[in-house]
Amino acid sequence: MSTVRTLSNARDPVAPPAGTWRIGLSRGPTQRAVLIDRRTVAANGLLALLLAAVALASLCLGSVPIAPQAALRAIFGQGDAMDVFVIQELRLARVEAALLTGAAFSLAGCLTQTLARNRLATPGIIGIDNGATAFAVATVTGVSAHFAPAVMALAGAATATAVTFSLAGGIGTRGYRFIVAGLGVGAAFRAVTHLMLARAPIDDANAAYAWTVGSLNAPEAGSIALLAAGLVVGMVAALMLARSLAVLRFSDATAQTLGINVRGCRLAALAIAVVLSALAVAVAGPVALVALMGPEIARHLSSHRGVPLVGAALAGAAIMTAADLAGRLLLAPIEIPVGLVTAVVGGPFLLWILLRPGHRIAP
Amino acid sequence: MFFNRSRPPRVSGIALLCGVALLVVSTVGAARTLDTKYGDVEVDGTPERVVTLYEGALDAAVALGATPVAAIATRGGDGVARYMSDRVGAIDIVGTARETNIEAVVAQRPDLILASSRLTQKQYALLSKIAHTIVPANDTFASDAWQQETRLYGAALGRGEQAESLIAQYEARAAAIRARVSDDTSAKLVRWMPQGPLVMADIIFSSRVLADAGFDVDDDALVPQGRPHSDPLSLENVDRIDSDWLFLATLNADGEKALETARTSPAFTRLNVVKRDQVVPVDGQLWTSASGPIAAEAILDDIAGALGVDAPR
Amino acid sequence: MSRPPAARTHTRRRPGLWFALLTAALALVCIASLMFGAGSTGPITSLATLLHAPAGDGGWASSGEARFVIESLRGPRTIVGVLVGAALGVAGALLQAVTRNPLAEPGLLGVSAGSVLAVALALAFGESAATLRVPVAQLGALAGCMAVLAAARLRGVGNDPVRLVLAGAVLSGVLDALTYMILLVDERTADEIRFWIVGSLAGRRLTDVTALLPGLAIAAAIVVAIARPLAALALGERVATGLGHRPRLVRFMVVIAVALLVGSATAIAGLIAFVGLVAPFAARALAGPDVRRTLWLCLPAGALMVVTADIVSRLVVRPSELPIGVLTALIGAPVLVAVVRLRRLPSL
Repeated sequence: MSTVRTLSNARDPVAPPAGTWRIGLSRGPTQRAVLIDRRTVAANGLLALLLAAVALASLCLGSVPIAPQAALRAIFGQGDAMDVFVIQELRLARVEAALLTGAAFSLAGCLTQTLARNRLATPGIIGIDNGATAFAVATVTGVSAHFAPAVMALAGAATATAVTFSLAGGIGTRGYRFIVAGLGVGAAFRAVTHLMLARAPIDDANAAYAWTVGSLNAPEAGSIALLAAGLVVGMVAALMLARSLAVLRFSDATAQTLGINVRGCRLAALAIAVVLSALAVAVAGPVALVALMGPEIARHLSSHRGVPLVGAALAGAAIMTAADLAGRLLLAPIEIPVGLVTAVVGGPFLLWILLRPGHRIAP
Repeated sequence: MFFNRSRPPRVSGIALLCGVALLVVSTVGAARTLDTKYGDVEVDGTPERVVTLYEGALDAAVALGATPVAAIATRGGDGVARYMSDRVGAIDIVGTARETNIEAVVAQRPDLILASSRLTQKQYALLSKIAHTIVPANDTFASDAWQQETRLYGAALGRGEQAESLIAQYEARAAAIRARVSDDTSAKLVRWMPQGPLVMADIIFSSRVLADAGFDVDDDALVPQGRPHSDPLSLENVDRIDSDWLFLATLNADGEKALETARTSPAFTRLNVVKRDQVVPVDGQLWTSASGPIAAEAILDDIAGALGVDAPR
Repeated sequence: MSRPPAARTHTRRRPGLWFALLTAALALVCIASLMFGAGSTGPITSLATLLHAPAGDGGWASSGEARFVIESLRGPRTIVGVLVGAALGVAGALLQAVTRNPLAEPGLLGVSAGSVLAVALALAFGESAATLRVPVAQLGALAGCMAVLAAARLRGVGNDPVRLVLAGAVLSGVLDALTYMILLVDERTADEIRFWIVGSLAGRRLTDVTALLPGLAIAAAIVVAIARPLAALALGERVATGLGHRPRLVRFMVVIAVALLVGSATAIAGLIAFVGLVAPFAARALAGPDVRRTLWLCLPAGALMVVTADIVSRLVVRPSELPIGVLTALIGAPVLVAVVRLRRLPSL
C-alpha cells in the first residue's frame, strides 16, 4: 500500500458516481479504487454522534445524578467517591454491555434480513434466543447443573442452532427452511421455559425473569469481554462479505451471474449472525426487536447502494443504550428491563413497517 | 458453632444460642464482630441509615425499634407488605425482590445494609463497598431461621437485647396457644390454583410458626427437598391435603377470595376439613412470603383467631 | 353438510371413511381419558364404574370415590379437551385456507398471543377476571387476527408462506413482551399467569364450558356458511369473485370465526400451541386439499391430539400433572419442520 490519494480531478479516466468519493490505491500500472458513499459516511457520523450523546447521558442520569464533567472524571477514578463508585462499578459496565449487545444484535439482524431478503427475518425469532433463554432459566431454577447462566445461554443458543440445522438439513433457498425449522425449535424451547417457570418456586421464577425478557441489570464481566471479541471478529468478517451481500439483495440469478457464491455467502452470513446473537444473549438475555429496528434506521439514513453493516451496528448500540436508560428512569426506583422497553417501542415501529401501504417487505 | 445446621434437641439448642447471643449483647455500642455468610463483618456504634433488602430484615429491624430509611417492595405490591405497613410508615423503595436497584441504594447513603441469604456473592461485592452488608449465614429453612436472623440483625443494629426479648415474648405466646391445641392436630398450608393446590413445605416460616403453636405440620413428602412449595397437585390427589386444619392462602392479601374460588371446585368441597369448616383463609403476603418477629406475631394472631383462643400479645 | 357426491371425490381418498375412523379413535381415547389419571382410581376400577354406573347404584364398582373422579374431574376435562382440540384444529384449517398458507397456525401467527395479552390485562385490572376471561380472550384473539391478516394483505407477504409466518412470529414476540410488561408491574398476575400460560385442562368445570358455547356455536354457523366460498377462494380471488362470492366478506367472517374459536380455547385452557398446525396437516394428508373436507376432519383430529396429550400429561409426573401446552409444542415442532421439508411450500 504505497500511496493513498483522493481522486476527484479531471485527470481520472473514470469519474466516480455521483455522491461518492473514490479512494484510489495505486501501485505502478495497476490501479485499485474504493468507492466511499458520502451519504453513508454522513449517516454513520450522525449515528456515532448520537451514540456518544446517549452513552454520556446514560452515565450521567439515574438515581444518583452526576454532572457530565464529573462523570468523565469519575471514569478515571477522580472526584467524589460516590460518583466514582456509581460510574465505575455500576454504570460503566452497563453502558458497555448495552453498546456491545445492541451492536451485535443489530448487526446479526442486518445479516439475516439480507440473506433472507426479508426485513422481519431476525435471529431472535428463529429459535436462537429461545434456546439461550431455556438453558439460562434451567440454571436459575436449579433444573440443570451449576453453571453460570451466561455460559448456559451460550450453550443453549448453540444447541438451538445445531438442532435447527440438523432438522432443516441445510439452509434452503433464502434460508427459508432454516428459518421455519428455527421457528419450530424456538416454540419447543419456549414451551420448556414456560414449564420450568411454572414448576419453579416463586423466588427462582423471579430470578429467572431477567433471562426471559432481557435485562442489563447485572451483566457478567466475562461474557462482556467475550462479546467484545466476538463483535470485532464478526464485524470484520461481515465487512468482508459486504460486497457479496449487497448483490445478494437482488435475485439469486443476478448474484450468480455476477460471480457470487450464493450458498457460501448465505452460510457465512448466517454463521456470523448466529454467533453474534448467541454472545449477545449470553450478556443481556433475549432483547426483542433491536435486530429489527437497528438495521431499519441504518437503511433509512444510509445510501441504498450497499448493506449498511456499520450503520446498523451503530444504530443498534444507540437504541439499546437509550432503551436501557429509559428503563432505568421511567419507573424509578423500579427498573424496567431493557427488553421490555425495546418491545414496547419496537411494537408500534414494527406495525408501522408492516402496515405502511404499498411498502416492500424486502430490505 | 453459632449456627446449627443439624437439629439438636430444641430447648438446649435455644439455650445455647441465647448464651452465645448474650455474649454479643454485652458488647453493644462498642465495635462488634458479626458472623455472616460472606465472612466476619465488624460494625461500630449505632447505625443511622439502614437499608433493608429483604422483607424479613425490614420486619426484624422495625420490630427491634429501628427505623430503616429504605426497603424493597413486597411481592405482588409496590410498597411494604400490608401486615406491617402501619408499623413501618413512610419509607423509600429501592427495587423489588426480583431486581434491586443498587444505584437507588447508593443514593440513600446507607451505613448498614441488611440483606437476605439469597444475596449473591457478586451483589455482595458491590453492596459491601457502599456500607456494611449483613447477610445471614443460616440455612433459610432451619427450624429457627427467623430467630437466628433476628439475633443477627439485632446485633448489627446494636439492639441484641431487644432481639432476645422479642423472641422470648413470641415463645411464651406460642406456648400459650400450644397448650390449647390437642396433640396430633394436623394442619396444612396450601395455595389454591384452579388446576390444583400448591402444598407449602413444612420447613417454611409460617409452617414453623404453626408447629410452634402446637400443630402437626407435615407436607406428606409432596414437596421436593429444599423447595418452598410443591407443583400444583392433581385434583385427583387432592385428598392428600386433607387434615384437621387447612390454611388457604393466595399470593396477594385476599385469602377470602381464594377460599371462595376454591369452593367452586367439587374436589375441594369433598375434603373432610371443608365439611368440618376448619379451612382458614389467610393473607398470602403474610403467610407465604414474610418472615420475622412481626410476621410471627401476626400469624399467631391468625391462628388464635381461627381456634377461638384468647392469647394476648 | 356439503360433502360432494362420491363421483367427484378422489377415489383413493375417502374423507367419509377417515372421518369415521378418526371419530372412532377419538371415542376410544375419550374412554381412556376417563380411565387413566394421576390419582389412585386405576383404569380397572374406572372401567368397572363406567360399565356399572348407568345401570344404577349399588355394588363395589360404583364406589363414591371412583364415580366422583370420573364424573367431576375426568369427565369435564375430557369434554373440555374435545372442544378445545376441535376449535383449535378448525381455526388452524380456516387460517390456512384464507391465507393459502400451510404454516398459518393461531399460535405461530400471534392470535393466541393476542388473547394471552388480553387476559393478562384483564387479570391486572379486574378482580372478576374469571368471569370476564372468555370475551376478553376472544377480543384479544380478534386483534391478533386482524393484525396478522393486515400483514398478509401487504405486497410481498400474502403469496409467500414464510413471510407471513415471520410477520406472525414478530407480532407474537411483541405481544408476549407486552404481556411480560404487565407481569413486571403486577407480580400477583405474574404468578397466576405462569401457571395458566402453560396450558392445562385440569379443574375445568362444565359450567366453564357453558360460557364458551355461544361463541363456539356462532363460529360453527359461520364455518358452515363460508365453507363453500372458502373453497372457491382457494382457487384464487378472481375465480371466487367469478363464482359470485365476495372475498372480502369471506375473509372478514373467517377472522371472526378464528377469533371466537381461539379466544374460547385460550380462555379455558391457556396457551396450547401447534394443534392448529398438526390437525389440518393430518387432515390434508388424509383427505386432500379441499377445505370443505379438511374442516370436517380437523374436528376429530384436533380433539384427538389434545385429549391424548392430556392423558399423557396426567401420567408422567404423578402425583402432579404436566402442563399440556408443553406436550403439544413438543409434538408440533417436528411436524412444523416436516411440513417445510416434505411439501413445496406455496402449494395451498
